[in-house]
Amino acid sequence: MKKKVLVFAVTALVLITTGLWYFSTNESLKLFDLLTFGIIVMVVSFALFAGFKRLTSAKRGEPAEDELSKKIMRKASSVSFYISLYLWLAIGYFSEKINYETHTIIGAGILGMAVIFGICWLVINFSGIRNE
Amino acid sequence: MNNRIKVNRARLNLTQDDLARKVNVRRETIVFLEKNKYNPSLKLAYDIAKVFDSKIEEIFIFE
Repeated sequence: MKKKVLVFAVTALVLITTGLWYFSTNESLKLFDLLTFGIIVMVVSFALFAGFKRLTSAKRGEPAEDELSKKIMRKASSVSFYISLYLWLAIGYFSEKINYETHTIIGAGILGMAVIFGICWLVINFSGIRNE
Repeated sequence: MNNRIKVNRARLNLTQDDLARKVNVRRETIVFLEKNKYNPSLKLAYDIAKVFDSKIEEIFIFE
């Protein structure tokens, strides 16, 4: 139950912060800002999807986590970490060629990691885990 | 590894939800097992065999 509350609390916090940033900015949004906003919405949607999945499982009287969901989470974490290494390598290479501030590049890298994890989780969740 | 979960579930007139609750896993896990997309742990295999009142090797066929 605590985990569910935490998922929804973090999601709400991210949405509120993004909303504050979106509505407080006086400058017109650039393509990069819109892209960042889109990725944040994607990550939040994923968190909400995971939260609702847990909630429906709990309503059916099933455990929120079982051996398969833990295995999927473990594999998605390890694969996404491996892919993220290449993402940071690419960011390191291109950081000298693009004119963005360091905190923007780090933010983009963290968002990229979140997206990679989401994609890995979806792929493994639909393809299944055999012979492991 | 193949399994005969679906056949045995039909024999006992159990839904995927019922079986999931009996062995304390989520319904998705039963779906994955029936589609042969997941090989269960020894404990889960034992629990499922126990629900069907069978031996593990009668439910899970190693090839």
